[in-house]
Amino acid sequence: MTRVDDTLFEDICTLVRKFAPGGVELTPATELSADLNIDSVAAMDLIMEIEDRFGLDVPVNQLSELRTLGDLAGLVAGRLKGR
Amino acid sequence: MVVATPTTNRVLPFRTGGFATLAQGLDYAARGETGCNFYSPRGELEVALSYRELRERALDLAARLPSARLRRGDRVAIVAETTPDFLIFFFACQYAGMIPVPLPLCVNFGGREAYAGRLHGMLMAAGARAAVGPDDLVDALRIAAARTAVAQVGTPAEFYALPTSLAALQPLHAHEPCYIQYSSGSTSFPRGVLVTQQAIAANARAIAEEGIALRPGDRCVSWLPLYHDMGLVGCCLTPVMTQITVDYLASTSFARRPLVWLKLMSGNRGTISFAPTFGFELCARRAANASLDGLDLRHWRVAGIGGEMIRPAALDEFAQRFAGAGFDPAAFVPSYGLAEATLAVTFAPLGKGVRLDVVERGDALERGRRAVPVAAETGRRTRAFVRCGQAMPGYAVEIRDERNRPLPDRRIGRVCIQGPSLMTGYYRNPEATAAVTTVDGWLDTGDLGYLVDGELIVTGRNKDLIIFSGRNIWPQDIEWAVEQVPGVRRNDVAAFAVTGDDDREKVVVVVEVRGGLDADGLSALRREIAATVHRVAGIDAEIVLAPPRSLHFTTSGKLSRAAARQSYLEGGIRDLGDTAAVEPTAGTDEPPRLAAAG
Repeated sequence: MTRVDDTLFEDICTLVRKFAPGGVELTPATELSADLNIDSVAAMDLIMEIEDRFGLDVPVNQLSELRTLGDLAGLVAGRLKGR
Repeated sequence: MVVATPTTNRVLPFRTGGFATLAQGLDYAARGETGCNFYSPRGELEVALSYRELRERALDLAARLPSARLRRGDRVAIVAETTPDFLIFFFACQYAGMIPVPLPLCVNFGGREAYAGRLHGMLMAAGARAAVGPDDLVDALRIAAARTAVAQVGTPAEFYALPTSLAALQPLHAHEPCYIQYSSGSTSFPRGVLVTQQAIAANARAIAEEGIALRPGDRCVSWLPLYHDMGLVGCCLTPVMTQITVDYLASTSFARRPLVWLKLMSGNRGTISFAPTFGFELCARRAANASLDGLDLRHWRVAGIGGEMIRPAALDEFAQRFAGAGFDPAAFVPSYGLAEATLAVTFAPLGKGVRLDVVERGDALERGRRAVPVAAETGRRTRAFVRCGQAMPGYAVEIRDERNRPLPDRRIGRVCIQGPSLMTGYYRNPEATAAVTTVDGWLDTGDLGYLVDGELIVTGRNKDLIIFSGRNIWPQDIEWAVEQVPGVRRNDVAAFAVTGDDDREKVVVVVEVRGGLDADGLSALRREIAATVHRVAGIDAEIVLAPPRSLHFTTSGKLSRAAARQSYLEGGIRDLGDTAAVEPTAGTDEPPRLAAAG
């Protein structure tokens, strides 16, 4: 998996916070569905925010492989690097 | 530059019927210039595939399929992404005499394992011999195909590269099956609706001629998934059978940027599009602050609504939000249908919009099962239902009581239907088929409703199926997953949906907890269960941790979800995490308490 630098992770957390319940600490190990209660509709909303923020397309078929915030950041880092 | 297919054919006469099979319908459409167009998540045209080209590519692939050791009649499972590949494989099967089985997609975070399990169940039930899926899902498909009859799993490119066989093609005949649709049933016991060529020909023709009065100049825009009947039959196969051009947006693209739907309607002068209520709702919500500049929806003449209970307030909101873009609320066309009837059964009259039937709430409705009309809505004492129109010619709707006797107008009972496109049965599942067939051969839809002047009004579902944001969720899938959580025992879980404010569905999972857990233990368990529900169903459910004996079982020992739901609504189920018993929320818009009788 592509290395994720702190700035990128912080950027993603800023977007994720809109969808996460208050008071949950965001770490790379935070689970997207279990800890943050991001359902399939909110997931699409979040992906749109990420796409717009970083100017990339997220392959939605890969979302089911992402369990944690770290997985998500890794995917974004990979897409950014691959450009 | 890619150029979209035109709305009308230059010379080829418009035809809505007279095709005995899907292949014949495509053969005819291929003589014109219309076809289908595929758009990116941001609404740029990526691929235009005329029906002529679709036919050529399907015929080419059909001749290669025997090289995958596939024979006539074999089931070919196709992951139903909204792509040209899906259509090419679907129609290649038609030409090769094989039966396509569309498979669903999965976009839940962390849901890959549950998804593979779901696909495995479908591949088993269909006895599929081959399975095809896009590059980034083919691994899940391979896992799903382990220990099944599937001999060949691959990406579209792998199948396109097979050598061509010299044997003559034998397309599916008029008396043969057309496809199998797995949109109902649970993971372990999926129920596949076997749709015949006769059924699709009859339903497509009825939809085109009676339902929405298709005419030259119509153009369809669709973001509906192709693994559901409304997307597959309504917005893909019916257009092929009527040479109508379709502009496709993937469901996941719509969910990200719902306004792209309207931009395509506007830019392509779309006249027809269908969606469940939640689609209109999502669009209105996300567009709250968006500019309507350049958006022109004046050509939209059929804004079809189906797929779940129709919620008039959400449609109102959509109509108001887009009035400035020329959206005409009279374009709304409520409809009723189900996969077991191929798709459509009733359509409300065109050009009349959403028409309501307002009835008295209270004992008459909830216990007497009578829908007593009132002059006007008066808030909490009335309930407004949507009139879904009469059965199309050739179809019939009756409301029956528990003993299968027809009920008069305004009496609520089981919605039973008859018509030329009913399934012949669930594939290889005579028990499930018998369970939905009345002694006199009608289909019991599992829905509850009543008739007024021949018009169907649906009031709720009799069955336990949960429909959440347009998705069908089988409660067993949630229950079985939750039963695997450490500390939860078998048969101690019930999942059901209740209608909250605004007719929106909320999923409740009641779990009986044995043994003394302290507050920390309870909240850890609650968290674990919520996470499990998320992984298996991708939804946010209310988790109720209840003391033993909160759930009800039938005399044969089967869990009664209806009774659990009733008890929950009446405040009879206590949550151990609360200091006081949970009271039912006063004044919420609860549905009629009829489901408990089902």
